[in-house]
Amino acid sequence: MSLSSASSSLLRACARQQLPTSRAAIASCQQRRGGATASKSSFDSPFTSAKESSNYKVPDFSKYASKKSPRSNQVFSYFMAGSLGLASAVGAKATVQDFLVNMSASADVLAQAKVEIGLGAIPEGKNVIIKWRGKPVFIRHRTQGEIDEANQVDVTSLRDPEADQDRVQKPEWLVMLGVCTHLGCVPIGESGDFGGWFCPCHGSHYDISGRIRKGPAPLNLEVPSYNFPDEDTLIIG
Amino acid sequence: MAGAIASALYQGLFRRNAVFLSTIFASAFAFEIAYDTGSNKIWDTMNRGRQWKDVKHRYTVQEEEDDE
Repeated sequence: MSLSSASSSLLRACARQQLPTSRAAIASCQQRRGGATASKSSFDSPFTSAKESSNYKVPDFSKYASKKSPRSNQVFSYFMAGSLGLASAVGAKATVQDFLVNMSASADVLAQAKVEIGLGAIPEGKNVIIKWRGKPVFIRHRTQGEIDEANQVDVTSLRDPEADQDRVQKPEWLVMLGVCTHLGCVPIGESGDFGGWFCPCHGSHYDISGRIRKGPAPLNLEVPSYNFPDEDTLIIG
Repeated sequence: MAGAIASALYQGLFRRNAVFLSTIFASAFAFEIAYDTGSNKIWDTMNRGRQWKDVKHRYTVQEEEDDE
């Protein structure tokens, strides 16, 4: 106990003795440095004394310094940074887009997913059933009387209220998927209580616009996306 | 003169970071369109007469003749 207290007091004394000398050394250092910077040009190293300054002469770079204004140099730097940002943004966008396009369906798949039908071969008042993506598609060339009949129906009284003009692009051509919305049977054309389609599986009756009128089916027959590129061609898909 | 342009650019584009960033994205959009159009044009001139759109009319005319 006494030994340890003696050693600690010795240490403290040492520290107290050392402190003034080191402080003095630092002060002299600073003094020397301050004096040097004051006497020499701004291109000389601040870490040398005046005596040895000739050995540590820093070259004069003023020849290489920009003659332009600081603002124009700043604008140039920002412009380069912005250009890098622009190039990165375009590159990142192109990379992401390439990956996403790669995931979408290719041209041959898209071509197979379409069906083209010549409408000239379908007489008025006749049904045609074609296969599209493994499902039957009904195409009916409706007579004017059938169109009027489809338009006369009070839409609000229907189970799945849908006006006839919302289901067709040209009123004389009714295009819809031949899959009963109840359990997926294929309805029979030109039959049923409403002059449209009749599903034999569970007795759903569809009218001449393919809307559900009677029976268990909850929804109207689905209309695929289609278009008419010219007067007598129909493309489904 | 150059100093005036530089300070106008600085005040207009670089001073506010939001403006700087929006400028970058807007010009990236414009640059992409210009770059795509330009490179497609170069590609088409290098491959003139060899692409489907250049030779399509020959074959479509033939098909119509076959149909008739």
